[in-house]
Amino acid sequence: MSDGTPKTADQTACTRRLLDVTPDAVLVSNLGVASYVLAGVADRERNFYQWGSMGVTIPVGVGLALVSDEHVTVLEGDGSLLMSLGELTTVAQHNLDNLTVVVWDNETYATTGGQPTRSPAVDFVGVAESCGVHATEVHSTNAFETAYRNAIATDGTSMIVCRVDPVDTDDRPPIDYPTIARRVRDAIADDPDQ
Amino acid sequence: MTSSNRTDRWIPDAVEALKQADVEVVAHLPDSKIGPLIEAVESDSAFETVQVAREEAAIGVLTGAWVGGTRGALLCQSSGLANAINAIGSLTLPARTPFFAVVTRRGNLGEFNVAQVPVGYNIDRILDDFGVRNDTVTEADDVGHHIRLAAESAFSTATPYIILLEQTVTGSKLEGL
Repeated sequence: MSDGTPKTADQTACTRRLLDVTPDAVLVSNLGVASYVLAGVADRERNFYQWGSMGVTIPVGVGLALVSDEHVTVLEGDGSLLMSLGELTTVAQHNLDNLTVVVWDNETYATTGGQPTRSPAVDFVGVAESCGVHATEVHSTNAFETAYRNAIATDGTSMIVCRVDPVDTDDRPPIDYPTIARRVRDAIADDPDQ
Repeated sequence: MTSSNRTDRWIPDAVEALKQADVEVVAHLPDSKIGPLIEAVESDSAFETVQVAREEAAIGVLTGAWVGGTRGALLCQSSGLANAINAIGSLTLPARTPFFAVVTRRGNLGEFNVAQVPVGYNIDRILDDFGVRNDTVTEADDVGHHIRLAAESAFSTATPYIILLEQTVTGSKLEGL
């Protein structure tokens, strides 16, 4: 950008910021980089890392938020969202107050080797809005935090498209898939506010 | 023109069986045969219903609901279940979470549409091949009992179980598209 504003946010810093804002949220993270970065920032009982089912991450968040009073934040990727844009109609149908969707848009299939996605040609905010989901796009870490705070404070579900650079990390979720699912389930079941 | 010999006596039995299995969330994508069951659960306050745009999304919704402590079920057609196969194989099975579905099975007795045959006729074998238990119901009187038993097994073993309803239960289209 000509005004010197960074063109991209820092995904790791943004992940840290959203945990500062919603330390008790249940986080549903897309397979690959979204989960790797989250695991590196903070491995928590309330992290529902996905290891497969690309394109199904947002629906997992919908189901969790539908039956729970917990705040649920989905950490989606641009490639996964492109695989299943129709799911935004389901997000709009329920428009849950306790659900926020973050899309890390790095314009690549980062987990499979960095092949380009078609996201530069896609107006994710426009797609979401046309489906009935409030959405905004941010290009910096500070703008992300502001947008995330606004999303939490606003009624209904908001989607934040956060433009980031691809991240290469060796961090991984430290437990296996069945344990991940049961750890989250137990953490919610043990919540005295539930 | 389409005509139908469907009798809907299995529908209240199915609704009652879902309740007895403590199913509270129903994800769905309709076809003409399971449509009346979807309408029945949508009009029943015991259920929270979620209309998905593609059936694989239901795997996510119902997994999320289970992680949140609530049992759910998918209602869809056999072609739609095929759309969900990778989600079952890459979420339900490896995460060892339960999944229960009631599916109208096309492609067999009474089928008029050739496009329903390759997947619908073979859906039980497709499920068997990747280790997903399934049960084909051919008599309307068996629907409630089989749904109840299959759902209980799915949730108590934390594995998938699919009920396939033949057109001898749901009624067959006799002609036309």
